[in-house]
Amino acid sequence: MQRRSKGRAASPSPLVAKLACFSALALSACLPACIGHIGDGGENAAEGVLTLAPPALPRLTATQYRNVVVDLLGTSPPKLGLEDDTKPFLFYNIGASTTTLSELGTQQYEESADAVTRAIFSDPARRAALVGCEPAAPGDACVEGFLKSFGRRVLRRPLSAEELGRWVSISTTLAQPDVWEGVRLAVAGLLQSPYFLYRVENGTPDDATPGRRKLSGFEIASKLSFLLWNTGPDKALLDAAEQGELDTPEGIVHSAERLLDSPRAREAMRTFFRQYLDLGRLDGITRDPLTYPQFTPGMTDAMRKEVELLVEDVVFETQGDARSIFSTRRTFVNADLAALYGVDAPGATATDFVPVELPAEGPRAGILTLGAFLTMNAHETRTSPTARGKYLRERVLCLEVPPPPPGVSTELNPPSGNTPQTVREQLEEHRKNPACAACHQFMDPPGYLFEHFDSAGTYRTTQSSPNGDLPIDSSGDLDGNPLADARELATKLETDPRVGQCMTLQLYRHALGRLETKGEKLALEDLSSRFASASFDFRTLLIELVQHDAFRYVGEEAP
Amino acid sequence: MKTRILSRRTFLRGAIGGTAVALALPTLEAMLGKHAAQAASGPPIFGVFFWGGGLPWSDKHGPQQAGNPDVWTPQATGPGYAPSELLTPLAPYAPSVITGTTPFTEVPPDPPGQSDGHMRGFMVSLTGDRIRPEGFDHPSHTLTALRPTLDQYVAKHPAFYAGENPRFKSMVLGVSTARFHDYGHWNSVSYNGPDDQNLPILDPGQLYDLLFSVPTDTDALKRRALLLDAVMEDAKHLSATLGAEDKQRVEAHLDHLNQVKHRLEFTGEACVPPTKPAPNEELVAKADMVGGLLASALACNMTRVFSLMLSSPATTHVFSNLGIANDFHTTCHAGEWQNVKNGIAYQMQAFAAFLGRLSAMVDPMGASLLDRALIFGLSEYGEGFQHSVAEMPTLLVGGANGAIKRGVHVRDVGGNISKTHVTMLRGIGLETPTFGWNGGQTSEAYSEILV
Repeated sequence: MQRRSKGRAASPSPLVAKLACFSALALSACLPACIGHIGDGGENAAEGVLTLAPPALPRLTATQYRNVVVDLLGTSPPKLGLEDDTKPFLFYNIGASTTTLSELGTQQYEESADAVTRAIFSDPARRAALVGCEPAAPGDACVEGFLKSFGRRVLRRPLSAEELGRWVSISTTLAQPDVWEGVRLAVAGLLQSPYFLYRVENGTPDDATPGRRKLSGFEIASKLSFLLWNTGPDKALLDAAEQGELDTPEGIVHSAERLLDSPRAREAMRTFFRQYLDLGRLDGITRDPLTYPQFTPGMTDAMRKEVELLVEDVVFETQGDARSIFSTRRTFVNADLAALYGVDAPGATATDFVPVELPAEGPRAGILTLGAFLTMNAHETRTSPTARGKYLRERVLCLEVPPPPPGVSTELNPPSGNTPQTVREQLEEHRKNPACAACHQFMDPPGYLFEHFDSAGTYRTTQSSPNGDLPIDSSGDLDGNPLADARELATKLETDPRVGQCMTLQLYRHALGRLETKGEKLALEDLSSRFASASFDFRTLLIELVQHDAFRYVGEEAP
Repeated sequence: MKTRILSRRTFLRGAIGGTAVALALPTLEAMLGKHAAQAASGPPIFGVFFWGGGLPWSDKHGPQQAGNPDVWTPQATGPGYAPSELLTPLAPYAPSVITGTTPFTEVPPDPPGQSDGHMRGFMVSLTGDRIRPEGFDHPSHTLTALRPTLDQYVAKHPAFYAGENPRFKSMVLGVSTARFHDYGHWNSVSYNGPDDQNLPILDPGQLYDLLFSVPTDTDALKRRALLLDAVMEDAKHLSATLGAEDKQRVEAHLDHLNQVKHRLEFTGEACVPPTKPAPNEELVAKADMVGGLLASALACNMTRVFSLMLSSPATTHVFSNLGIANDFHTTCHAGEWQNVKNGIAYQMQAFAAFLGRLSAMVDPMGASLLDRALIFGLSEYGEGFQHSVAEMPTLLVGGANGAIKRGVHVRDVGGNISKTHVTMLRGIGLETPTFGWNGGQTSEAYSEILV
């Protein structure tokens, strides 16, 4: 249900692979054996020209729907059953623009709108507060005035005269047994309108830029608000649109700064990082308490929260180099994590997190040495250098790891004979098969760097086996450069240009609700280099993105 | 214990002079008498029952899978076969089983990876076609269908419901909540078409409310239905401004609004609701519970089509009750044959519990829902260790009102899996000259099974 056949998102791989190869440093990574071929599904993008994809039509995610309902009505929908969101290519926004709502999902919107409006309108104080006047008769000035201003908030643009007339007339027709019921139903109807449920950002043809459509101020307001606040535009932003302030990059930046100064932006960015770093995969992870006594029931939640706090500290609190999330020694632990890492954390309890500086000579620095990454990229009882290497390749560096060739067993042979083997030794057997080696040599050597951490994230120097403990060898390499362990990798990532490019790419996908196309390569290069020029300050990247042509315009729909 | 179908018209929902009128009930005997004639000859029911993880592998799947016994294929063929170990829990319901079949669809070389059982086996067994090559992305396991899955194919076939307008064209249900991915076919086995899925209802409480907690204020329901006209007006306006793909999405939404409106206006039969079940996530208990609710819905003709996803494709369900520590997908790949066998056997027990509910719901003439039904039991590939699509597991359960012979084993080594589709579709009375696409097309049915 996810992908489109043409136009947008023709193929993610070419650009991903290409981005990885922009830098000379990265050339060694472009091993033909393990990189998707560069070529695409027939997009005719001219070199050196920014060719934008046609608009996506994202449906509000369940979170966005709830956020907007709370903004508009001051109350959560009492009935929370909504069609589940999905996140192909990591992002809910991509699921939102590529899935078709089901019949049951449609019914759930209907029931939700009915229930939430009933809750408000059955309470005279609340309905008066919402509507702001007392309607005397169906369709009177009070009703019309309310539907005009409320409709503008719901649809994120002013209603046309025809639309307003239609909604007023509905509220009149359905005003049984009284006028309030008509108003309530009009509100319930607006909350089911496809103009509310879908973000329509189609733009209008722009003479100055043939082949492109310029988004209106209201469309920009909507796009900006859903990106930076994960909800619909507030009144001030709609007013800015109405004043024409969002027609220029400067005006957009002005409003974006206001949104970014609000705590709502932090929550919105937290949801972005949660998706980009794939933290949802921590859900449902358990470890056998006998084997891993430190892995308390609340451990995965603590691990997720740790990453969120760390990211927030780098990105918002200190406005540091965003790439340093992969190398900083500063992190945030509760008592369980402090025990797992063996660090002193005065003040930490089961629920209170405190900042700590990990030891300079210790094995940990950056999120690739912390519990979340180490646990979600491991099996129940043993590590997976392959999964950890794959995460590094795909999530941190945006390189594509192709599937195993058909007919190849992905299973490791059991330790051969009577000689116990470490996971590393088993994998090295596996790589003797040339069909496997092509990709495993791409994933496993960087994955070995994390071998000092077991599948629950605990530091270890040996791996136990039936015949006694085996010493751990964590040496590996990245793109042929030998490294001793995860700490050395962290240092390496501090200057790897692919890290910033990858972060840019993922933000781009999230913001636009679709995969990039080949024609947008220039935009991505441009944004990456602006990000670099700003010392990888994430807030600056957001500001650069929202004023960029790739954000302000869309391509024409193919005829 | 058998349950009597107690479907009856408890009240007429509809407004006369703006007031709901509750009609006095005729005697129960009279109602049942009237209903009996209807139900005994009731039109067929079609269902899809999917389990994730295929079968435990044997040398029939390929040389890499050799070394373990085949615990699925019955020794004998023909009617009255003795059930194999895995089929034993289902034996009371006399499933017909077809073994040895495989997909015949062509596999485009580009993009690579389309031959994988997760993609190919799943899609061919549920749609008769391959996946859509465009937009297939192996690294993220993203793919979509080219056409509807069998449940939706049947529900939307003009000859299936013909003049009927049931409250639900189909019910899409699920049991295990574990997912390999939360998108695409990993999340649902019911497609309307490309990029268009029906997500399963996983919460029995939600299913109960949907089926049986209908508000009684008919005036209010009527106003809600009228309101949808306005919403549809907006959908039409929007649709006119969109490119082809988004237009399709909004038009699907529009169709759904029409269905929702139909349900709000529905004045047909209401049912005596069963007891609302207490939550229980244990696989067999939950399959039994969902089966019970569905049986009640089928018995009072709320729908005649369903799909039930017991566990999702590449299921990550953890069978901790069987002492299996890892999730099932990992267990398959780890080559733990015995654990895989136990996990599949347990899923067959859940299937049996579900079928038991349909079998126990009998009408006054003694015919059960299972006598009326044809349920297609399937998984995504032959086995989950190497994803082989040889020896696809396929079961036809129920009698389809006598059109399908029960308890027959047909062995068709290397046969086209779509022969099973043709057999089923003809069995429920849909004219099917051929079925299957892109190399999978066939006009053959299994005469050993189709009456």
